[in-house]
Amino acid sequence: METLDLFSLRTHFTRNRILLCFNGPISRSLIEEIGNALRNYLQADNALPSAAMDVFSIYIEMTQNIRHYAQSRGYGELESAATVVVARDAEDRYMVQAGNVVERADGAVLLARVAELAALDKAQLKAAYKTQLRQPREPGASSGAGLGLIDVARKSSLPLQASLSEIDENRAFFSLCAFI
Amino acid sequence: MITGTFDMNDLNIASTQSTPGIQTDFRNGVLRMHGDSYPENSFEFFGPVIEWIESFLAASSDPLRLELRLIYMNTSSVKAMMDIFDMLEEAHGKGRAVSVAWHYDPRNERVLDLADEFREDCTFPFDISPDVA
Repeated sequence: METLDLFSLRTHFTRNRILLCFNGPISRSLIEEIGNALRNYLQADNALPSAAMDVFSIYIEMTQNIRHYAQSRGYGELESAATVVVARDAEDRYMVQAGNVVERADGAVLLARVAELAALDKAQLKAAYKTQLRQPREPGASSGAGLGLIDVARKSSLPLQASLSEIDENRAFFSLCAFI
Repeated sequence: MITGTFDMNDLNIASTQSTPGIQTDFRNGVLRMHGDSYPENSFEFFGPVIEWIESFLAASSDPLRLELRLIYMNTSSVKAMMDIFDMLEEAHGKGRAVSVAWHYDPRNERVLDLADEFREDCTFPFDISPDVA
């Protein structure tokens, strides 16, 4: 059996300045534990308290959105998986990237929504956030009903970037990236 | 436990990593919340708080004061908190004395931003003050 080349994996992580990454089924407690690790890394990285909170907040909204989505679609444990990467880019910004498997139609809706939000300035995003905050809650909904994505867009210092990669005729991998 | 005519079931909920500590004092009309708030199901978590406030407002005509030291809130907690402030706003509209005092650590201005956005939609006394070092 061929083992993984850990050294080249490490080199890849180092070159891409990856602070933290995760891939697999994500539970409520795992979100908290990884969040804890993230906070510690940010502190060790001497991030400003406001930047550390923005990164943490984006991480929480993205991962909780993934959990809520998997629950709303009735996905099983293995299907409610997330891929999460926190890294620094060439301009020393923090990049928070999270992705998950979605129904292709849902992915297309999400992409369009991200494009809409990416076109708004901060004042427009705030107005959109307040409008969404006032929307009646859907019966049985446990989440903030679409607020999370707007909140992530508000906190990102650059427009959100998203992509959709087809997996098969029904499903695709949705990936979202925010910058601090 | 109900121990007197003016007592009701006060809340005393210890904080966890993702949920704030909550203490109520029916006798003095005070509700305190402190810590981070990012539970997955915020409406479930804040349900007892909303019920306590409803009961307090219905059972007496005394002033109600919220003392908050909340730090990070996820968006579903923000939505639940807005429901709470809406209840206070409605009571205020009927002439009830209600107020919020939100304390924050001045090293993290995000907490001020958060509290300030809530205050924008409230007309009752809503004080936001930095802790002195």
